[in-house]
Amino acid sequence: MISVSPKAILQSQTKLDLNNLSPDQVALEIKNLDLYYGEKQALQNISMSIPKGQVTAFIGPSGCGKSTLLRCINRMNDLVDICRIKGEINLHGENIYEKHVDVAALRRKVGMVFQRPNPFPKSIYENVVYGLRITGENNRRVLDEAVETSLRSAALWNEVKDRLHESALGLSGGQQQRLVIARAIAIQPEVLLLDEPTSALDPISTLTIEELINDLKKQFTVVIVTHNMQQAARVSDQTAFMYMGDLIEYNDTNTLFTTPNQKKTEDYITGRYG
Amino acid sequence: MNKWFKSGSPWIWLSAAGVSISLISVLGLLWLIASRGLSYFWPADLYQFEMLDEQGRTSTVIGEVYDREEIPAKQLVHLDIQLEPGQETIERYLVKTGNRELVSLDFRWILVPQIRKTSTPENIAVIERRTNGNFYGVIESLVLDGNSVSLDKMPELLERVEAFQEEIEALQKVDIGAINYKLERLRLTERKHQLGNNLTDEIANEINTQVQILKDEYKVLEAKLMSLRDTVSRDQLVVKAMDGTLVTIGFEDILQINFNNQMNVLEKLKLFFVQIGNFITDDPREANTEGGVFPAIFGTVLMVLLMTVIVSPLGVVAAIYLHEYAGNNALTKLLRIAVINLAGVPSIVYGVFGLGFFVYMVGGNLDQLFYPETLPSPTFGTPGVMWSAITLAILTLPVVIVSTEEGLARIPSAMRHGSLALGATKAETLWRIILPIASPAIMTGIILAIARAAGEVAPLMLVGVVKMAPNLPLDGNFPFLHLDRKFMHLGFHIYDVGFQSPNVEAARPLVYATALLLVTIIVALNMTAVSIRNRLREKYRMLEH
Repeated sequence: MISVSPKAILQSQTKLDLNNLSPDQVALEIKNLDLYYGEKQALQNISMSIPKGQVTAFIGPSGCGKSTLLRCINRMNDLVDICRIKGEINLHGENIYEKHVDVAALRRKVGMVFQRPNPFPKSIYENVVYGLRITGENNRRVLDEAVETSLRSAALWNEVKDRLHESALGLSGGQQQRLVIARAIAIQPEVLLLDEPTSALDPISTLTIEELINDLKKQFTVVIVTHNMQQAARVSDQTAFMYMGDLIEYNDTNTLFTTPNQKKTEDYITGRYG
Repeated sequence: MNKWFKSGSPWIWLSAAGVSISLISVLGLLWLIASRGLSYFWPADLYQFEMLDEQGRTSTVIGEVYDREEIPAKQLVHLDIQLEPGQETIERYLVKTGNRELVSLDFRWILVPQIRKTSTPENIAVIERRTNGNFYGVIESLVLDGNSVSLDKMPELLERVEAFQEEIEALQKVDIGAINYKLERLRLTERKHQLGNNLTDEIANEINTQVQILKDEYKVLEAKLMSLRDTVSRDQLVVKAMDGTLVTIGFEDILQINFNNQMNVLEKLKLFFVQIGNFITDDPREANTEGGVFPAIFGTVLMVLLMTVIVSPLGVVAAIYLHEYAGNNALTKLLRIAVINLAGVPSIVYGVFGLGFFVYMVGGNLDQLFYPETLPSPTFGTPGVMWSAITLAILTLPVVIVSTEEGLARIPSAMRHGSLALGATKAETLWRIILPIASPAIMTGIILAIARAAGEVAPLMLVGVVKMAPNLPLDGNFPFLHLDRKFMHLGFHIYDVGFQSPNVEAARPLVYATALLLVTIIVALNMTAVSIRNRLREKYRMLEH
């Protein structure tokens, strides 16, 4: 059995009944979601509710569909030609897969950070304001303010405030990842999707990002995919365990790691496969 | 031995040899054209040869030695030349003797055994003239305003004449040229009104008054020009040619007088650079065999720039469509193959296409629609600089498309995803992220396009290049850039001077000099583009993850 940090135990005090959330507690509701890559089914009948203002982690072995599920939430899977989706994901009670939905507007509400830091080859400043510029915001004062707040929220401000106009590519990997997070929160999304945000980083940077995630949930609903169970235990309030395209178990993190209901979950978290 | 093969050394040696051969051939080429081309500008020693020919007549030959070669003695048996035992060849010199008004050829071969005496007298002058080429001889006297003056006054006189010449040139080219241009425009306006059946008396009168004003201006200028010419032509130089004839040369004809044998190395070096400068900035004279190549340089650069302006957006847009929007299906693949194959079509075919499609069809229709007043003389329905630029743009389009597409394909998908995840649409992502990152690749395509287009001559012969263009495509008359005009091109100039010239010997060094210039210009254009690309590359350098 995995050791659980005191922080995780503390979080369990705000335990929610995931099967009976009131509508204002729900950030996202996934209903009977099936996803196919061509003929191959990658997600099978996934249903879950992701609570507001909390950190939800998806764990599972490689290829279990956790990243795929995450990408469904802001429709990044649209970029894959052969991908087909059935079922719904509701944001504010509205299915994001409806025909009339503006995908760009959806992605402004559901931001995403990828596995490898991908800052644009622009200055730090321009990286942060990119999303705002897209929306047509060009007022210098608004942009300056957004840069400072976002970089502060991403715990990067003190390190870069003197070189905002230098290339973002000169930052270290961990700083780049925090910059990308700052870039994502600059447009004030409701949900922030983190796709294995620390897998390309060193342990120190990982720690910084994990602390950051804890701060971020005060403002945003965070969904994180990780293959690192300790990380899930450290940072998340809810954890979903997925296996072979199925959602095996979804519960508050403490319960899932200490007393899993399912045999598969137990096997996974005790390291019998993965 | 086997071990040596396994170690890979033979392959390293082979590749090194390949690199060396390429390097040597490039350097050899540059060295050849540079040495031959630049020697044309070096003030050569002037020789005076006392000759005794086979019939016992003596003569004097004055000039520059251009070339020397050995010919088999057997060919010259009839000349009865004394040969040393075992000697089978006789040396001969090619001497540039100039003085075209006295002898029709300005080059002659002299046989070394017939030379009695060789000297380099200091008083021989090379007189570079506007017409009839160089004159070699000894200056006898100077005539200023009809009176003989001392020879010391020469530098002063030359300066005076140069000032007059500049004035004359300005009058002819700028002022009178502008009047002619305006007169032509007025004629066209009148014709336009005639064609439109709205030529009222009022308009006709208005035009006539203007024409009258211009004609009066013209008369004033003409009178001024005449008086200037008169002034200049009263200054003369009397020169003794090598055969003793006295020749009078008007100062209006003289460009430079040099005493090469009196110069030291520094003076020669100075003259060398002055000559190069003149070559670059002067107009050609004497059917392109003398003078400079400025209009050709100008035409080449302007045409290449126009081509770049046309091909870059077109190629980039096509590549974006192929790579980003066109579905990944058989049709796209076919299109891509077609584009790549376009690069293999011989350039003259593009020339034929340009002439048939752009010049005759598009240009002809443009004339019908927009320039009916000038017909039957065509405006755009005839080869010109615009059609040349467009034809070469089509020719170089595949290069730009292919390298832009490669650039687009190299961009990590993380960049696209990053932008899309921030709520940017595909078009915004393209415009703000993808294109800037791909810009070095686009520049590579443009560099290749420039390199190909600047050296291309064959298609241009059909769609716009001429041996001698009276006006540059860019001048001070509205609308300043005259895209319908024909232009001169360095590549075609080389061909014209080298192969179409009546004076082959005189033209040969010019061919090398022009070739050197063409290479220099292409290299300069490329270097500019390369430095822009390097700057972009530095800016959008991707971190190696």
